[in-house]
Amino acid sequence: MSTSAAETLEWLFRPAQSDSGIDRKALASLLVELARAVEPKSCAQPAGVSAVDPRLTQLRDLLVGHEIEVLGRLREVIEDPEQLGAAVGRVLPTAVASSDSRLGEVLAPALEKATAASIRNDPRALIDILYPVIVPAIRKSVGDTIDNTFQSLNESLRQSLTWRGLRWRFEAWRTGKAFAEVVLNHTLIYQVEHVFLIHNHTGLLISHVAAEDAASQDPQLVSSMLSAIQDFVRDSFQGAGQQGVDTLRLGDLRLWCEAGPLAMIVAVIRGNPPEELRRTLRDVLSRIHEERRQTLETFDGDSSGLADIEAHLSDCAALKQEGPRARRRGFPWYVFLLAFLLVGIAGGVGLWRWEIAQKMAQEQAQIAMEQARIRAAEAERRAAEQQRWSDYVDQLRAQPGLVVAESGERDGKFVVTGLRDPLAADPAAILRESGVDPARVVSRWQPYQALDAIFVLRRIEASLQPPASVKLSIEGDRIVAVGSATPRWLLRARAAARNLPAGGPALDISQVQNLAEGVVGKLRAQIQARDIRFNTNESLPAPGQDEMLDELAAEINELTALVSNMSMMVRIRVTGHSDDIGPGTYNLSLSLARAGAVVALLKKRGVPADLITIGGAGQLDPLDVRGSDSARTLNRRVSVAVRLEEEQ
Amino acid sequence: MTVAIQKKICMLGGFSVGKTSLVKRYVESVFSEAYLTTVGVKIDKKSVTLGDRVVNLILWDLAGEDDMSSLRMSYLRGSAGYVLVADGTRPATLEMALSLRRRVEAEHGPLPFALLINKNDLREQWAISDGDLEELRRNGCWVRPSSARTGEGVEDAFTDLATRIVR
Repeated sequence: MSTSAAETLEWLFRPAQSDSGIDRKALASLLVELARAVEPKSCAQPAGVSAVDPRLTQLRDLLVGHEIEVLGRLREVIEDPEQLGAAVGRVLPTAVASSDSRLGEVLAPALEKATAASIRNDPRALIDILYPVIVPAIRKSVGDTIDNTFQSLNESLRQSLTWRGLRWRFEAWRTGKAFAEVVLNHTLIYQVEHVFLIHNHTGLLISHVAAEDAASQDPQLVSSMLSAIQDFVRDSFQGAGQQGVDTLRLGDLRLWCEAGPLAMIVAVIRGNPPEELRRTLRDVLSRIHEERRQTLETFDGDSSGLADIEAHLSDCAALKQEGPRARRRGFPWYVFLLAFLLVGIAGGVGLWRWEIAQKMAQEQAQIAMEQARIRAAEAERRAAEQQRWSDYVDQLRAQPGLVVAESGERDGKFVVTGLRDPLAADPAAILRESGVDPARVVSRWQPYQALDAIFVLRRIEASLQPPASVKLSIEGDRIVAVGSATPRWLLRARAAARNLPAGGPALDISQVQNLAEGVVGKLRAQIQARDIRFNTNESLPAPGQDEMLDELAAEINELTALVSNMSMMVRIRVTGHSDDIGPGTYNLSLSLARAGAVVALLKKRGVPADLITIGGAGQLDPLDVRGSDSARTLNRRVSVAVRLEEEQ
Repeated sequence: MTVAIQKKICMLGGFSVGKTSLVKRYVESVFSEAYLTTVGVKIDKKSVTLGDRVVNLILWDLAGEDDMSSLRMSYLRGSAGYVLVADGTRPATLEMALSLRRRVEAEHGPLPFALLINKNDLREQWAISDGDLEELRRNGCWVRPSSARTGEGVEDAFTDLATRIVR
């Protein structure tokens, strides 16, 4: 049936005829005709047929009762919109699937209207649907454009200042093209060596075309591996979404991949292809998709009968941009001129550069000489300093009381460590005279006592303080004291000599005369043995004492003269005494008066008064304590005591 | 006229069952084995002649894994069939092969496959009995012992697989 769906429905909805539905008269005549054909004698008249005849109804039921029932059910379905909707829904997909292109044509305007209305109502829904598709597409397109721009900018910069660049500018101005385009046209030299068309689903090679003289491995294996690498990249880097690798680069060899919904085109390009080539690949890919969609969808590894696809790929594989062609032959005037100019310029520049180089070489030589001189001076200075330092250390080593344990140079400083007797020479003072910069010297000295005779001597001098009458000197390994000294000093000196450390020089005091012995001692004993006698109550010496006084004064003077040679001084103590008769205080003053009288008499006899001191003992220091007159006579006296002192 | 068609075949199996060395002598190979450890797959080609047709089996040798989860199932996409390899001396590798089969069927539906139980030259060390193999055959598996050393079973497996695929 060729009527359209609309007509079918219309026919179904045509209003039903009356229940009788049948022209009963015509039917009756038909039946009479039928009877006559069977039985010619029958002459029944159809006029006798009544309008309502239950037998006809029965006949109708018999003949078409089933159809009437089916039609009734169909009518019910058609008249109930719900049931009709369900029924049409069941058959619609099949109808659409089996329909030809006219369905698309019929539906297109309605769908366009519906889509337009839907977008007007709520654009968001469409945006949500298209978003995952459009955004990557836009991103890719923007990326490509930027790549293009960069490439052209890069080339422009590279070319804009050369002669060729200027020529291309002229060409761009003359032809009205963008300069970048002109540059790209001239500079990109490339050749498409292989083009693979790879089935997305299986990774199998659909078709492969190679340029002449292009070598490669088995294209079937290569295409599967490329497909595996695409999968690998997609799986490994989730962020890449559904896009795979679109460029692989190895030296001057590039693989450009353009993925379509069913197949991927991969071009292996040697050189520097323009972005335009990518558009070409994309176009070829989409053309193949358009023309052989069915083949691509059902591709199962059988590549036979794909000559048209191969032809498309061949178009790509033929693409290349040759390098600049060689110029026509002829006398190379320009080259000659250019070479001449270049030689001239090169010569000029060369001369100029040579002069500069000479000048620079001279300057460098001068600088080098100056540097060498400075280095030599520095080395000399350092050597001199080293010499001064080693002289200084030698000097320190020569010093008694200084023991150099270590000396050397460390971290730019001179270092010396060792032991130093506090009495030894001061290393700092020696350093000042050495000429070595004290700031560069680090010294560490530990104190110790040296056993050199000179230090022992100094320590003895410091501790014993020998009188001027004693001279200390070093003789061999001994320290010898010569002169005279008081017994008290001699006692201390002996103790000090005993305390000197073993192994060091010894102190010899055997040549020091004890002042308490010898001539001085004798004279002193004589003086002290003399007493000047007095009569009772008299403050002047008894008669007949002058001789005694003369002798006493002479002895004192002799002693004074004697000890003055020894840098000693004599001190005379003149003490008056009385007997025990009379009051003590009287006796005391009497004794003082007696002493004063004797002193005066001694002065008269030449004894220097400043050597004499006066004292009165009264009756408290009697010579004889028996209390007899003779004893009292002995006790009325003046006694003299002698003390020797070192000269101040 | 000879017609050449291509079919993608995946080689699957546990770690060190010897599937790479099993096919080494029988395939055309341009890629090094380093691809297995880097990209996780190495592509070889095995041509099988069936009457007037040449079937180029493009073999995707997938890196053997003991951890099944790390297998890149995306590599199996578009496979016309696959070869499972197990090591006869290690029953666990047979388990692994069967579980790989289940996984492939779950994701890609039933596909023709061949199961090779490798290291037949070490038959005395096998831990898989003939009964086990019989049981597998009864369950519809195409299963053969194989040996990388002698090459036993390899040609058979590819020829049989190719036949079933292009039927």
